[in-house]
Amino acid sequence: MVNPKVAFFKFSSCAGCLLNVINIEPVLLTVLSVIDIEYFVMAKRDNHHGPYTIGFVEGAVTTPKEVLELKKIREECAIVVAMGTCAVTGGVPSIKNFSGMNQDQLTKTVYAENIYDPFLASIPAKGIDHYVKVDAYLRGCSYDLGEFVELIKRALKGEDPMFRPHSVCNECKLKENVCLLVSKGQPCMGSVSAAGCGALCPSLNRQCEGCRGPANDCNAASLAKTFMEDLGLSKDDVVRKFRKYAGNTPEFSKGAEAAL
Amino acid sequence: MLVEAFVLPKADLGSFVEKLKAGYEVIGPVANDPEFVFAPIDSAADLRLDYDTTILPPHKKYLAPPKETLMTFSGPATKTGEPAPAGKQVLFGMHACDVNGMLSLDKVFLGTYPDPYYKARRENTAIVGLNCTAPCANGFCSSFNTGPGMDTGFDLSLTDIGDKYVVCVGSETGKALAAGLAPAADADRIAKSKALRASQEKIERHIDIDNLGEFMHQNVDNPVWAELKERCLACGSCTNVCPTCFCFAVKDQVDLTLVAGERPRDWDSCQYLEFSRVAMDHIFRPDRAARIKQRLYHKLTYFAQQFDGSPGCVGCGRCATYCIVAIDPVEVMADLRDNPGEEKAVKLYTPPDKKVTPETSPWEPLPAKITAIKQQNYDNKTYTFSFVDPAVQEKYTYGNGVFNEISVFGIGEVPISISSCADVKGAFDHTIRAVGNVTKALDKLQVGDIVGVRGPYGVGWPVEKMKGKNVLVVVGGVGLAPLLGTIKYIANHRDQFGALEILYGARSPKDMLFTDEFEDLRKIPNTRLLLCVDDCLGMEWGHNIGVVTTLFDKMSSKPDNSIMITCGPDIMMRFAVKGMLALGWSPEQIYVSLERRMSCGIKKCGNCQIGPIFVCQDGPVFKLADIQGLPEAAL
Ligand code: SF4
Ligand code: SF4
Ligand code: SF4
Ligand code: SF4
Ligand code: FES
Repeated sequence: MVNPKVAFFKFSSCAGCLLNVINIEPVLLTVLSVIDIEYFVMAKRDNHHGPYTIGFVEGAVTTPKEVLELKKIREECAIVVAMGTCAVTGGVPSIKNFSGMNQDQLTKTVYAENIYDPFLASIPAKGIDHYVKVDAYLRGCSYDLGEFVELIKRALKGEDPMFRPHSVCNECKLKENVCLLVSKGQPCMGSVSAAGCGALCPSLNRQCEGCRGPANDCNAASLAKTFMEDLGLSKDDVVRKFRKYAGNTPEFSKGAEAAL
Repeated sequence: MLVEAFVLPKADLGSFVEKLKAGYEVIGPVANDPEFVFAPIDSAADLRLDYDTTILPPHKKYLAPPKETLMTFSGPATKTGEPAPAGKQVLFGMHACDVNGMLSLDKVFLGTYPDPYYKARRENTAIVGLNCTAPCANGFCSSFNTGPGMDTGFDLSLTDIGDKYVVCVGSETGKALAAGLAPAADADRIAKSKALRASQEKIERHIDIDNLGEFMHQNVDNPVWAELKERCLACGSCTNVCPTCFCFAVKDQVDLTLVAGERPRDWDSCQYLEFSRVAMDHIFRPDRAARIKQRLYHKLTYFAQQFDGSPGCVGCGRCATYCIVAIDPVEVMADLRDNPGEEKAVKLYTPPDKKVTPETSPWEPLPAKITAIKQQNYDNKTYTFSFVDPAVQEKYTYGNGVFNEISVFGIGEVPISISSCADVKGAFDHTIRAVGNVTKALDKLQVGDIVGVRGPYGVGWPVEKMKGKNVLVVVGGVGLAPLLGTIKYIANHRDQFGALEILYGARSPKDMLFTDEFEDLRKIPNTRLLLCVDDCLGMEWGHNIGVVTTLFDKMSSKPDNSIMITCGPDIMMRFAVKGMLALGWSPEQIYVSLERRMSCGIKKCGNCQIGPIFVCQDGPVFKLADIQGLPEAAL
């Protein structure tokens, strides 16, 4: 059997999600025996052109040039996977969408006027499904390696992986962690954020920051109210929380709007 | 009769635990600062018998753990797991609410189709209860008589009376464990009663349980639910921590060979949107208010209706404690009681009384071979199956209108109704549309391929009651599949039934099933087949245009001495039922077949509930009179 050809691409992001692929050492060789990595600029020297069976795309789309590249990727890949939160929702780069400045002001604030170059032309940061059809999502900053391997398996079987999009609290409770919000009064976002990480942060005594974006039918507005009324967070803090990783999503927008 | 009782001086607790450890793994409450959890202990020094509550209920954690492998497979070869724990364990220091919660879970897991995994653990687990002399802050157990003291469900129960525990014996096992303890004096027994009475008086939170079931059914539309919808985060913590919540989801996992793997179950929650999801992303309970209601109604009344009056809420207070937005059954009930809905006659539900105890594990799909495949229309195929083991096939019988759970290993299981007639021997048919992961995988299979089959499950069409009567069949779209067997049964036993009339509607002619059998159906003596489509798509069509109810004008069926059976999309059945009632048919003579997500088929996973009904075992066929007016039934 011919192994499916796999490619990894990157847009505006930190490259952490690509690097993370290499972290699957325990099963890396087994994975490599069932797929052929044809294009992965970060990890190998000889890269080949498409078409590919699966294209993993890291990063938010923030320039007109990236839009064109993404459209080409879509044409070349049978399955397009948004890999990591930037590609899924716009992620951390999307914070700029809410700066209140227009593009010109932004450019002037970020770059000294004399170094301005048309290359820096920038548009609001969006997840890749704003521009092309996406077949599967690996949420998280960075995504869970177990889900990455699971997704490869499902793709090879031609199935929808159907990751369960329920709350982080679910996984947190199953681990019997002391609830950071209820018992310690910390503004944990686990209740409205999608699980799959195994409640990684709360298990290490850190609040969930919602890096995987909204859980299914979550109620961000109610949590925003709790943050302000019960935990005493300022309006600005609450808005920042809901716009850190997934401000572009309708669900987390409701959290930010409830605070405004 | 006086309960046998002993005393255990607190100073001797350490040696008592050491003795227990000789025969059991001892699991008790330990600190998880600032809270508590049940965990295996090394010695009595680890025990925190002053705990108020634990995050997860001990019996749920250790008898029905969050993840359990139901079976493993390699290609079509399957193996059900050996019921896991060989060693004996003792749950030491369980509070009364949890002991009662465990008794409720017993009803779920040891009732019809006993779960082998829960059963094995339950039999290997001894319970040393701890009556609450200092009640926890959020509990309201006394409302349900499930605390602060326990009357049953334990092997031993301890009550703190100062410098010693009174140890009551609840079983032969308990008696053996108490060997060597000094008998309790009358004064000790009196001290125990006093301590528990004092404790009971300290409990300040209560639910008014007067007519609770009827009251809940009268308040389905109370504005309180809309307010809770705004607050609830849909996080599901409440169900995870609840000592009686049992629902789970099942999803196959494969290793990188893609053919070998396992089928685990994971705790699920009715608070999640996807809890009621079926193929094509259809969600039966999309509204968050409906999901909150599902939980609180299940806890406060449905559970008791489903499981012989056992409490669905034991008043442990955990859901209120761990809910970020403090949704609390005590407050919700107080709000409802303050502003009650209209008092009206309410009928509570009584499930059909049936207990099934199969010889093999109910989780084991038996291999069945595809012996024929027939394309029905553009998106449906009829598969004929036979069990690989002829002895299994020989013994396999089913009623008309029931279903099997069909496995494609590595992908999952789907419930599908049987479309062949119960008279057929040696094989059975399923008519399947490729819409979800499993049905799409089935679509790729060929004659000779093997799938797994569990079943048959459920209550089918009331063929015995239909005998001697006229039968009206009202069908929409693919709903003909679960009805075809019954129609053929009537044909095979024609003299036992009166007139047969079939009204069949579909979106378009190409959406109809079994079209090549229509001529045969028309040839059945004393039978009419009336057809209609919403849109004939420009094809030649000599029949009605419109929805199936437009055929009512043309039908000859009358209510007298007749039974109507119907299956199709929810909305079609709703209109059909409404139309029939308007024509003077009674809910006693109308039978409907309902559809829900069904992950188990055996009244375990909870996915298929509609109000107090389990579609998988109480149905899928219901008499309208039995479900009319029930919350969520929508008919
Ligand atoms: S710590 Fe966070 S994720 Fe865990 S239960 Fe509490 S709110 Fe949920
Ligand atoms: S009631 Fe509370 S714990 Fe339950 S889902 Fe809603 S917010 Fe979460
Ligand atoms: S509903 Fe709440 S109070 Fe009742 S048993 Fe469940 S967790 Fe405890
Ligand atoms: S349906 Fe009932 S048992 Fe299942 S999760 Fe909901 S409340 Fe718990
Ligand atoms: S309880 Fe599992 S399908 Fe009904």
